[in-house]
This record gives sequence, structure tokens and C-alpha cells, in this order.
Amino acid sequence: MQRFLRPAGMVGALLALAGCAADAELDTLTPKGPDARTIDALSDPVFLVAGVVFIIIFGGTGYLWWRFRDDHSDEEYPEQVHGNFRLEILWTIIPTVILVVIGVFTIITLTDLNRYEDNAMALSVDGDTTTWEPEVVVVGQQWWWEYRYYFGGTEGLDLSDARHLPPADIVTANQLVIPVGQEIELKMSSRDVIHSHWIPALNGKRDVVPGRTTYWKLEAEEPGVYFGQCTEFCGLSHSRMRMQAVALSPADFQAWVDQQVQPAAEPTDPAAIAGMAIFESQCARCHVIDGVNDETKGADLIANAAPNLTHLMSRTTYAGGIFNLYEPDGSLDRTQLEAWLRNAPAEKPAYAEGRRGMPAMGLGETEIDDVVAYLETLGTRPSMDVIVATEVE
Amino acid sequence: MSEQTAELTVGGDAAQPLGVYSRPKGGGGWRDWITTVDHKKIGILYGGAALLFFFVGGFEALLIRLQLATPNGTVVGADLYNQIYTMHGVTMVFLVIMPMAAAFANYLLPLQIGARDVAFPRLNALSFWVFLAGGLFLNCAWLFGDAPDGGWFAYSPNTGVSFSPGHGMDFYAIGLQIAGIGSLISAMNLIVTVLNMRAPGMTLFKMPVFSWMILVVQFLLLFAVPVITVALFLLLFDRNFGSNFFNPEMGGDPLLWQHLFWIFGHPEVYILILPSFGIVSEVIPTFARKPIFGYEFMVFSGIAIGFMGWGVWAHHMFVSGIGPISVGAFTLSTMFIAVPTGVKILNWLATMWGGKIRLNAAMLFATGVVSMFTIGGLSGVTHSLSPADTQQTDTYYIVAHFHYVIFGGALLGFFAGFYFWWPKVFGHKLGETLGKWNFWTMIVGFNVTFGPMHILGLNGMSRRIDTYSPGFGFELWNMVATIGVFIIALGVLFFVLNVILSARRARGLPPEPPDPWDARSLEWFTPNPTPVHNFDEDIEVSSLDEFWHRKWTTDENGKVVRKATAAEVCQAGDAENVHLPSPSYWPIVMSAGMPLIGFGLMYNLWLCVPGAALVLMAIYAWVFEPPDDPDGPFGHGHDDHDDHGDAEAGDESASDEGAPQEEAASVE
Amino acid sequence: MSSDAHAVHDGGTGLSNNKLLMWVFLGSECLLFGGLISAYLINRNRFGDGPAPGDIFDIPFTSVSSFVLLMSSLTMVLSLSALQRGDIRNNRIWLWTTALLGALFIGGQVYEFTTFLREGLGYTTSPFSSAFFTLTGFHGVHVSLGIVMLMSLLISSYRGTLRKENSETVEIVGLYWHFVDVVWIFIFTVIYLVPSPTT
Repeated sequence: MQRFLRPAGMVGALLALAGCAADAELDTLTPKGPDARTIDALSDPVFLVAGVVFIIIFGGTGYLWWRFRDDHSDEEYPEQVHGNFRLEILWTIIPTVILVVIGVFTIITLTDLNRYEDNAMALSVDGDTTTWEPEVVVVGQQWWWEYRYYFGGTEGLDLSDARHLPPADIVTANQLVIPVGQEIELKMSSRDVIHSHWIPALNGKRDVVPGRTTYWKLEAEEPGVYFGQCTEFCGLSHSRMRMQAVALSPADFQAWVDQQVQPAAEPTDPAAIAGMAIFESQCARCHVIDGVNDETKGADLIANAAPNLTHLMSRTTYAGGIFNLYEPDGSLDRTQLEAWLRNAPAEKPAYAEGRRGMPAMGLGETEIDDVVAYLETLGTRPSMDVIVATEVE
Repeated sequence: MSEQTAELTVGGDAAQPLGVYSRPKGGGGWRDWITTVDHKKIGILYGGAALLFFFVGGFEALLIRLQLATPNGTVVGADLYNQIYTMHGVTMVFLVIMPMAAAFANYLLPLQIGARDVAFPRLNALSFWVFLAGGLFLNCAWLFGDAPDGGWFAYSPNTGVSFSPGHGMDFYAIGLQIAGIGSLISAMNLIVTVLNMRAPGMTLFKMPVFSWMILVVQFLLLFAVPVITVALFLLLFDRNFGSNFFNPEMGGDPLLWQHLFWIFGHPEVYILILPSFGIVSEVIPTFARKPIFGYEFMVFSGIAIGFMGWGVWAHHMFVSGIGPISVGAFTLSTMFIAVPTGVKILNWLATMWGGKIRLNAAMLFATGVVSMFTIGGLSGVTHSLSPADTQQTDTYYIVAHFHYVIFGGALLGFFAGFYFWWPKVFGHKLGETLGKWNFWTMIVGFNVTFGPMHILGLNGMSRRIDTYSPGFGFELWNMVATIGVFIIALGVLFFVLNVILSARRARGLPPEPPDPWDARSLEWFTPNPTPVHNFDEDIEVSSLDEFWHRKWTTDENGKVVRKATAAEVCQAGDAENVHLPSPSYWPIVMSAGMPLIGFGLMYNLWLCVPGAALVLMAIYAWVFEPPDDPDGPFGHGHDDHDDHGDAEAGDESASDEGAPQEEAASVE
Repeated sequence: MSSDAHAVHDGGTGLSNNKLLMWVFLGSECLLFGGLISAYLINRNRFGDGPAPGDIFDIPFTSVSSFVLLMSSLTMVLSLSALQRGDIRNNRIWLWTTALLGALFIGGQVYEFTTFLREGLGYTTSPFSSAFFTLTGFHGVHVSLGIVMLMSLLISSYRGTLRKENSETVEIVGLYWHFVDVVWIFIFTVIYLVPSPTT
């Protein structure tokens, strides 16, 4: 028995080594939600079984090397065994039995993961109390994520064409804000190529496919920020298409909703007013700010959309979740934001032929300052908890 | 036709061939190589080309690892990185492992079944040259600065013309199409060879396991290649003629590509690995000095893998949204394909059990396959669990998995084959000392490179990313992996040194005497290196391991006693006037036309004209060239000859059923 | 002649190398058409704003041309049996007939394509149209290559080299020809006989 425990312990140590790496924000072995936990509960024992089998085979090979090495003491041939039918049947059956057992548990887990709860939560939207069955429409685009909230439900809405979705109560980008303890159903599609939505701490991944709606779900047990990454190769900046799920307590989530459904406030500061004018003449070709422009003014983009900026400052990342909007002390990271506005393709690779990703806008330095001043008026800064949790470096 | 007799009636065309149609003399030098139809030379050509592409693909691997050594790497940009990783995958799969398997198959299969050549020698040459044309065409993309950048799996619509407007994906589609033609021709040829040309007495179940695995692989190719052909045609038509198969804007379905690609792609995995299984099944018995344990189980598990390989493709699509029922079904089928694979591993271990193991370089590599492939197989089982796969797929865990399968399984197996059959092919052994250095550096480097990738993947590092940020816990293991790849490079360097030094050492010495390893199968009946005509006379086969049984027997106590020395059993290789097929110019000419057509499709349709003209001319000449060169060096005592059969090749490449050469059709 | 490189040995299939090669090749072709037929089946409902399959197919016309193609298999058999009897003259007649029937089928396909084109179903109109033209086009190319093979047989016949002894060549071409016909039965069923969606 001890012979088997030791290798099992070694495998465990290996897994621990893998699981407990510091700052492993994308780790698959430290689940933070029930779905990820279900998966983990299935895979951990299988890792263990696999580890034991490996030790047996690997150790066996080494043992055979040593035990049956030719010491050249004589030139005799060993006994010529051609096979042993019963033995071979036996080691056909044993793995089959092991796999049947694993298979049963796998199918059970698979069924679990594909069962969607009928959960609902009370929510006040713009003063009206509604019952929301938590669901978010997820849209992938080269190279950022859009999250759309329909508090009236998506029943009867045509979600098949991601480039022409019906207007939503909240449209945000790169950060999926969810209430804790609720199973969130994701209805996902893409505006261009295939992407894959993956928040490893909460659930496995699911592709988003243009022309199709795919379904998935996730749930967070504790408030916090959970990192994700697009995991289906989607072109040039695939590595820079990231996102976070921000799980809030029900009260914080309600507060967040209250803010998000408001249109952008009119700027008062002169620089911000100048910035808004620049936004309307330049940025509004692709970006939308509720209360300023209801739709884009005809961008020459393949997917014809860019992140909605109405509450930009309520998010902690931008540009596909790769840059932090705030310094760890909570102040705006002005340098990075200005660099982004100055020449976006230098900060995040985009195709030379354009039409995908943010182009270099050719703004002058004062114009950039004005735009930043305007952007600063958009939305409320999130809590320091969220800002700090977004920092990984 | 076998029993029919026909008078050799018309001497006309054959006796006085028109100048352009006369067959090359094959007098030596490079002309010999480009016109050869000898399966052994073609095998060496395959091997050489595969090694060349191996260095290209390996260089790409070094660049990948350098870029990923540190966070925010800047060795190559995102654009170049995507091209490099795509070409690394395409090169290693289609231009290294497949042709290297073809190298072993071409050289050894006819020898192992006791045949003088393959069934259609000219077709054999054609398949090599077509493969080479496809490979060179693909790599031409680098010269145009426009290499494919959509991954080897080329998921649409990212590879469609609106998201990939350059010519990279055209290079991919056309290059693989061309290489695929080569694989298909080769598969048909080898199937006919095995089914029809085995030595007298060699029933299918007296064939060595290697020959069996090659046969299974050829059937997989036969049925898998047309599927990727369809997929590539649809991609080409989408990109160049505006069809809408994968274009979601017009209602096309990107998942169709995935299904077609993986229906090809999963059998392809077994196409890559089974030849190596065959090699290991030859090397281990020889050096454990025992027959293969459970021959029938080995053969049937190979066949089972071949069959089941068709029912598991959608496990590559567990997260694509195909629905839980399909996912469940493919989960189970994928799990159970592990059973025949496991049987193979245990049978190899059982072969070693009770043996007298000689741990030379070949055996080290073979046992290395057993343990390394086991790791790949086990990690494969862990992601056959579809729920677990939703966490693992498209991460470095998968990268680790398939490198353990393809590098640890297929490539290490080929190295075992190199050390085992080198004397058969080149007449001298590779050095043992360097060989062991070769093995240990490679196996250590391999594990240092790909072992940490398991951890990286489980830590959440995505595949196909050109860079990563600090702070996710990826730094340490990426650096370790990058160090590992240089250890692998050192191992490859040892191999190259070994090839050069052992050749230098053998210069001027007589070739290795027959049977250097006390081996078991038919190829060792011939002297080293194999004479051009293979066997002096047909071998009557009465058992598996015929060669061994002619040397050894068991006495009444069950003890193995020698009944003949290898020198007595082996043939002298001095047969004269053996009729051999003459070389031909046309395989290389025909294959030269294909890349031209490819360039034409991409840049200017007029280029297709000379390309098609070359192909048509070659087909015409192929059909009309005389079956033999009357002045050829290999004797021409009789004209019985299969070469007219090659005209059938024509069917494949769209030719006519050339009748005129039927004149020579006769079998005595 | 055991020293011959390519003598058929014991344990072979009993088929000549050439014939076996053709069989193996046709096995591979099954998967080629299998892939194309799947691509059509997946896309037959995706006609977008273009003509729907059910609106545009002229089933009586295609039935006639299918009948023509099927008859050509019969004449192919007749040409082979003529040659096996040594009847060169009938062999040529039936080869000509087979090629002619094949050409008639191709003509029908060209007519069908141009009609569809005129009715607004182009290659790029919809996934359905792309799949339809690709599948039937690939089949048409196969028939055309078959005709080229038949013509080559005829040329060699007129050169006096196609005789009773090498009737196997005709048999092998026949295998190909019958295969192409059988594939058409599948395609015809899948495209035309299975009720097609209409707008």
C-alpha cells in the first residue's frame, strides 16, 4: 500500500506546485465558483490515477532496464515467450474498467455543467423593481469583449446577428460585472472571428462563433476580480484580448446598475468640453457614449463597433483588458492612456490595413489632454478593492 | 492480368523510342537521384527532405521559445510570431513527421515483405517529388513575406479573405493540397504493394508489426486525405472565388471547417504516431532478444486505433458549442481509444520482461518512446474528460500533451529507427557513444521543455499567444522551457555530429557485415547497405520473424540454439541481370508544374498555363515513355514489367488511361 | 518468373496491381464525395435572399440526364464484354456510345448551370449555391475525366493496341466510370429527390 501512496503523494506535490504558484490569476486548479469546482472535483482524482499509472509505467521501464539488462555473462538467449493470452485480456480489461468508472463520473459532471438554474434576483432598474434572471449577452470582437445586460430578459430578442443587436440597458466592455452567488447565464456570439470566453476560476471556456449563439454560465462565490483570456486564436492581437469578471455583493451590484443605466453627464470643465467636441468629431465614428451619440457614425471597421465609453471610468482596464486605467493608489494612469490615444497600434498590434482595432488618431498633445479630461468625466471610479485586485504586476 | 499471358508483340515504340521519351540511363551522380524510381533511394530522399524541414521547423521552435522566454517578449513581433508558430506546426506535422514516416515506409516496407520494389515505382517517385514541391511551395511563403498566420488548424472565418487578406492562407491551402496529393499517391501505392507483393508464404499475419502499422497508416491516409482535400478546396474557393462555405455574413458555417479539418485531423494524429509504434515494435524485440509479446494483440490494437481514430474527432471541439449530447458521445469514444494504446505499451513492457536487454542507442530511444508516449497518452485521457477539457483546451497543457505524443512518441521513435536501420541503409553503424549523448540530451531537453508546459497550462497560460504579462505566474516555467529547447538543439547537434563522424570513420572500411544486431525480419537477409535489387532470390516465408528462425531454433529443453550463422543465412547480394524498372524524368517534371499552378492561382492565372502544360506534358510523356531503357544498366533480358500500371497514376492526376504503353504489357 | 520485381506472389489479392490500385483509389474518392455531400447537406437550407433549391430545380430534366448517365454504365459493360470476346468493332461502338452519353450528361449539366445562372443563382449567391455548384461541379469534372479516358481507349483502339489481351484496361476504366455513376445516384438523391426547402 505504501508503495502506492508515495507516488500519489508525489503527484499531489506536483499539483500543489502547479496550483499554488504565486499570483496565478488564471490558474485552473483553484476554483472560485461552483462550476469550476465541479470540474476540479472531476479532474483532480483523474490526475491522481494518471499519475499513478505513469509512475508504474515509468518505474516499470526503469526497473526492466535494470533487472533484465544483458550482462553479457553468456550468449544464451532468454526464454522465448510469444505472449500470454490471459494476461493480455487482463490488461485490456483493467484499463477498460478504470475508464468506465471515469466515464460514468464524466458524464454525470457533464450533465451537471449543462443544467441551467432558474435563479432570479430582484433588481431596481431606473427606479422600477424588476425580477432579473441573471444573464449577460457576451460579444467577442477583435480584440476585446462586450457585455450587454437586458434586464427585461432576452426572450423574443433577435441575438443571432452580433453586429446588429437590439439596444441594451447596459453596454460595457472587457469587464463582466456580476452579482455573487447567482448563476449567470451567458449568451455569446461574435462580430468577426471565433473567440473563446474563459474565466478559469469560475468555469471552463466556451467558444463564441459568428452567426451562432453559444450558451455557457458562470458563478462566483466571493466578491472579487477573476481574470480571463480569449483562448481561441483570433488573429494578430489574440494574446492581448483579455477580460475580468468583477463579482460584487448584491448591494454593490445594485449600486453599479444604478450608475450604469444613467447616460453620460454633461461636462463642465472647459478642457472636458473641448474633449467632448473632439470625441464627437473623431471618436464617435466608432465609439458610443449614451447621451452623446446613440449610434456610431459609420466606422470603416469590419465589425462596425468599438467599446461603449459611457462609463469608462467605472472600469479598471481598457484596450481589451490589457491596460490598467488606475495606478494602485487609485489615481488615473495618465501616461498609458495618453500613449494609447496618441498611437494605439504602437501599444497593441493591429493590422496595417486597418479596419480592426483602434487606429492612430493623429491627435495633437493638447487634444489628447482634452480628450483625457473628457474621458475622466465618464462614469464613477470603482472601489479600491476592485482597483487593487486588477493589479497583477 | 496475373495469369493471362500475352505475347510481347510490338517492339515498335519500345525498341526505338523517340528521343524525348527515352528513359534516363541512371549512370550515377545527381541525375540518378532526381530520376530514380528505386524505393530505397526514394526513402533516403524522403528522409533527407524531412530532416531539412526538421531543421527549419526546429529553428522556428527556437524563435518561439526565445519570444516566450520572458514576459512581454520582443524577439519577434505579434505578426511574425503568428506566422512562425503556424509554420512550425504545419512544417513539423506535414513536412517532418509524415515524410519521415514515409522514408521508413518506403525503404523498409518492400524489404520487410520480401518484395523487390513497390508496386508502382514511378508513382513512388512522383509522391516524393510532389510532397517536396508542396513543402517548398509552403516555405516559399517566407520569401514573399506572407507566411500563413492562421494556425495549422486554420479556423475559419479568421482564415477567410476578409480577416486574412494576404496570401498566407493561400500558401497554406495550396501547399497542403499539393503535399496531400503526394501522400495519397503514396498511400495507394503502398497498400497495393502490401496486399499484392508479399514474399511467398508471407501471409498478412506473418508480416512484421512495422509493416502492419505502415499498412494501417496508409489506409488512414487513403481515407483522411480526401477529407482535408475537400476542406482545403472549400477554403480556396471561399478565398478566391467568393463562395460562402465558411462566411457567416452570408450564412455560411465556420463549424463546417472544424468538422472537416478534425475528421482529417484526428486520424492524422494516428498517421503520425503509428509508424513510430511500428519501429518500436521492431527495435524492442531485437534488443530484448525476445519475440514481440502478443503479436496478434499488437496488430489488432493498431487496427483498432485506426478504426476508432475516426470516431473521436469532435473532442477537438468540446468547447465549440456543439451541444452536450455530441460532447458526451465523443467523450466516451475518446476515452476508450486509450485502451488499445495502453495494450501496446504493456505489451512492449512484457516483451522486455525476462529478456536480455541491450541498452544501446536504438533501444534507449525505443524505451524512451514507451515512457514519454505514456505521459502524452495519460494527459490525453485527462482531457478526454470533456468538462476538464473546458479548462485545458487551448492552453499549454495541450501543447505539452501533443508534444509528448508527437515528439516523445513519433520523433523519438524515428531516432530509434535511425540507430537501428542506419547500417542497413548506409552500410555502417552510427556511433554508440555519441548516440547515447544524443539520447540523454534529447530526452532531458525534451522533458525540461515540455514538462513545465503541463504546469503552465494548468496555471492558465493560453496557447498561440505571442506574449504574456508578468504577474500570472508564467515567468519561471517559460524560462525553464526555453532553456530546455536549447538542450534539445544540443541533442540534435549530437545526432548531426554522429552522422558526420560515423560516415567519416566508415570511409574506406568494408561495410558492416550482415545482421549487425541479430535481428529478426526479412530486410536483414540482404547485405549492408541493401543492394539495388534488394533480394537475390525470393524468400520462402514460413513464420513471423523468418530471419531469426533461420538462425536459431529451440532444442528439446526449450533452449535457443543456433542452427546457422547470419552469414550463412544472408544473401550475398551479387545477383546479376536482375530486371529493374528504369528511372524516369517525368515524376519530377510533373511535380514541378504543381507549384506553378499554385502561384498562378494566387498571383496571375496566366502562370497556371505553363504549370498545367508541365503537368500535362509529364503525364503524356509518362504514358508514352518506353517501359525500359534498352541501354540501361540493369539488364533487360525480359520486358515483363509493371510499369504500364503506372499509367493508372494518371487517373489520380487527371490523366487518360494511356493505352499505348499497354503494348509492353505482359507477364510471363 | 520469381526474380521478376513485380510478380504477384502468394497471398496476394488475386487482383492485378493496376486493378487493385483503381479500387483503392475509388475508396479514397468515396470520402472526397462524402465530404462534398456533407457540405451540401449542411448548406441546403442556407439560401439567404437567393433562390431556394426547391424553387429552382427542374427535376424531370435532371431525371432524364441521370437516366442518360445510368445508361452509359450499361454501354460500358457492353464494350468490355465485346472486347473480352475479341469483338473490336462492337467494343469501339460501345465505347463511343458511352463517351457520347457521358458528354450528353455534361451538356445537360452545362445547360442546367446556365439556366440557374440566368435565374439568379450564381456561385457566390448563398452557401447553398456554393455547395450545389461545388458538388455537382466536382462530379462533372469526374465525368469529363472519364470521357477523356474513354477517348484515350478509343485512340489506342484505332492504333490497334487495344485488344482482347488487355481488356483489363477497359475493365479498369469501367470501374471508374461505374463509380462515377454510382456517386451520381447518391448526389441525385440527396440534391433532387429528398424534398428541398422552398422560400
